[in-house]
Amino acid sequence: MKKSLLFVALCLVILSAGAALAAYPDKPIRVVNYAGPGGLMDVTSRKFISVAQKYTNAVFVVENKEGAGGLIGMQAVLEQPADGYTVFAPTTSVVMKVLTSNKDIDEYVWGFEWVAMLMRDPECLIGSDKNAVHTWADVVKDAKEKNGAQLWTGPAAGGNDHLMAMKTWEVAGIKAKWIPYNSGPEAMLGVLSGQGVVYVGNPADIGGREGYNIIAVSSKERLKSFPDAPTFGELGLMGMDDETMWRGFCVKKGTPEEAMVWWEDLLKKVAADPDWRSFLEPDGIEVVDWGRDKFTEQVKKDVDDSLTYMKKYGIIK
Amino acid sequence: MEVFSHLYDGLAALAGARPFIIMVVGVIVGILGGAMPGISPSMAVALLLPFTFGMTPTMGIVMLCAIYLAANYGGSITAVIINTPGTPSAVVTAFDGYPLAQQGKAGWGLGISLIASVAGGFIGIAILILFAIPLAGLALKFWPAEYFALALMGLTTVASLGGGKWVESFVAVLLGLLLNTIGMDHMTGTSRFTFDIIRLYDGFSFVPALIGLFAISEVLDNVESFNFNMAKIEVADLKSVWPTVKDYMKLKWTIARAGILGTVIGIFPGAGGTIASFIAYDVEKRLSKEPETFGRGNPHGVAAAESANSSSVSGALVPLLALGIPGSASAAVLVGALMIHELRPGPELFTRHPLLVYTLFSSLLVSNVILLALGAFGSRLWIKVSLIPKRILYPFIFVFSMIGSYAVRSSLFDIGVCFGFGVLGWILNRYRYPVSPIVLGLVLGAMLETNLQMTLMMGGPSLFLTRPISALLLLLSVVLIAWPFIADMKARKKRQVQKSKGK
Repeated sequence: MKKSLLFVALCLVILSAGAALAAYPDKPIRVVNYAGPGGLMDVTSRKFISVAQKYTNAVFVVENKEGAGGLIGMQAVLEQPADGYTVFAPTTSVVMKVLTSNKDIDEYVWGFEWVAMLMRDPECLIGSDKNAVHTWADVVKDAKEKNGAQLWTGPAAGGNDHLMAMKTWEVAGIKAKWIPYNSGPEAMLGVLSGQGVVYVGNPADIGGREGYNIIAVSSKERLKSFPDAPTFGELGLMGMDDETMWRGFCVKKGTPEEAMVWWEDLLKKVAADPDWRSFLEPDGIEVVDWGRDKFTEQVKKDVDDSLTYMKKYGIIK
Repeated sequence: MEVFSHLYDGLAALAGARPFIIMVVGVIVGILGGAMPGISPSMAVALLLPFTFGMTPTMGIVMLCAIYLAANYGGSITAVIINTPGTPSAVVTAFDGYPLAQQGKAGWGLGISLIASVAGGFIGIAILILFAIPLAGLALKFWPAEYFALALMGLTTVASLGGGKWVESFVAVLLGLLLNTIGMDHMTGTSRFTFDIIRLYDGFSFVPALIGLFAISEVLDNVESFNFNMAKIEVADLKSVWPTVKDYMKLKWTIARAGILGTVIGIFPGAGGTIASFIAYDVEKRLSKEPETFGRGNPHGVAAAESANSSSVSGALVPLLALGIPGSASAAVLVGALMIHELRPGPELFTRHPLLVYTLFSSLLVSNVILLALGAFGSRLWIKVSLIPKRILYPFIFVFSMIGSYAVRSSLFDIGVCFGFGVLGWILNRYRYPVSPIVLGLVLGAMLETNLQMTLMMGGPSLFLTRPISALLLLLSVVLIAWPFIADMKARKKRQVQKSKGK
């Protein structure tokens, strides 16, 4: 009797050890989105998954945990065990939200391992050719005339686009006001209807819409898909050629190394996939396959930059 | 007319079993989703979004639009039968729909809400097809100053919501506005009254609050009075309670006015069906010869609310198609659906994918007919709910309210919100304060505040008066709020004169 019990126990131990050793992933991976269904990051992660299915049999489940500019999604992931089966899908704006809402950076930013950065979407200034002011020379002249009353539009105060605006003002030596709208599209409408003169966003924003033009784009060379859009460098604004909005995936700190390597490896395969590239590149987006080292470095740069500018412009203390 | 030949092509693209099934499924999902408290039209659209990935872009959009259209009607079903608006825009439908049900005339409430929804839908679709491009220009005329003025005009409807109880209505609307200050300040990102609870950063979720105020308070009210005996309704009685064609015809002008108003208000991003139905209701009440019957089961109230919120669907598609800017939360999900298929919303759709646009237009017309058929069939089932004894029905309402509140964001916190607002609604009911002005405060608070702040940042208070549309709307608001007082004073004077004559 004792022997058979011992045998059963031994079997159980071996079985469970086997389960623990089974290669990641051996159960569905939840990808937590802070955007609602149909939102930018939601569309991106669903597309990523559909391409990734070519290279892995892993099962992905996209979950939308909206609210508080991404903090609810982050919290939902941080509350789960660090086993690599709950992945968060952030963009630059989530990191900014942590800073503007005075949340603990160590918990909400460095409580994650930034494992996969998918792309760099260049920031750009957008105007409307229906307005008298729609080139960089116009903007500078108008800003000097209005002496601080020129209006720039975009989404949330303290977000990535607002940061870009503040950097531009400083480099160009001009003054302007940031009007935060409820959403990017509403802010774009604000420029078309003449409420503001510049909308800060990304090149893809003008796709399909009439009446908009790119005033300046943050890249080293002109974008293939937007050959008419001048770079900041061409306009004499130096040091502004690498401002981007990124999208990626991160996992809770303490996730097994194996899972993180798996994600880095998967990203390399997806980044090389023609379907994935054709989804992003026509929008002027640079497809990257950055793993932990480079992604973490990017997040650090974003945090430092934002803190500097937000303090300077009195958005945070 | 080029439009009609395009429309014909669009209809031709819908021929066949597959598109028909897709639209039928869309309408069914929409009605059920709308009827379930906790699932708003935008959530119903979002839930089915992943299913469209495998379809052609056109069929995907056709299905999502069918859901969007039907969900706006679906919300009225529970509003009429159990005083639980399934969608925020159905709140106004409950004002007169539920009293009708209480009088044993649920068939009237259901029938009118269906017919008004479908007719309002057609009005909106017609305006969308014929005038999408010129109307989009209207969206460009609206600056934050105009949005503020529109919201303020929406607030003036409080004057007619309380049924003559000025003070109580005013207190309730202020309570709604105060509750709305909870959350993050949009302009500065400062958190207000959140006590560092992340769930409160966006304020109270609207749907759980709504379910609490209407459904839970009603349940608590009945528990308190311990009255579970219903007026006995026989199945035979139910058959005779449907309105006749003649009855519907009496509502035609109400439906037409509300339909146009709903479409126009739907065009402005961020305004939407809820405000449209409040304003349309208010207009009808003011135009009515017997305003005192509003809130007590006046069919015009139900018709105005439903026609306005259904037509706002097409309104919201105007800026989406003509400018690439979604006019509502549901339209925003449609943007995602287009993006997945690598299409860009906006005027480019008309030039590069005209067949898609006109197939979408035609599908709205067909879906609306399907909605009429399925809605009429469904109503005969829903009405049976009024046969369920209260002691069984009320626990069910309670449970569904809780599930619905949880479903919005998969959050236990929202169940607490629902219950909290339920108790609040119950207390207010007890002391005879109207609940609906709170909803108005909750809907309009954020719109008022952010647009006020934006206007002040843009150019100071003078912008409100120098921009013609804003000035006009503000003037209209003043008149609307002052009118009942003036009418009241006149009536009093008249009475005094008559009294003194009588002496």
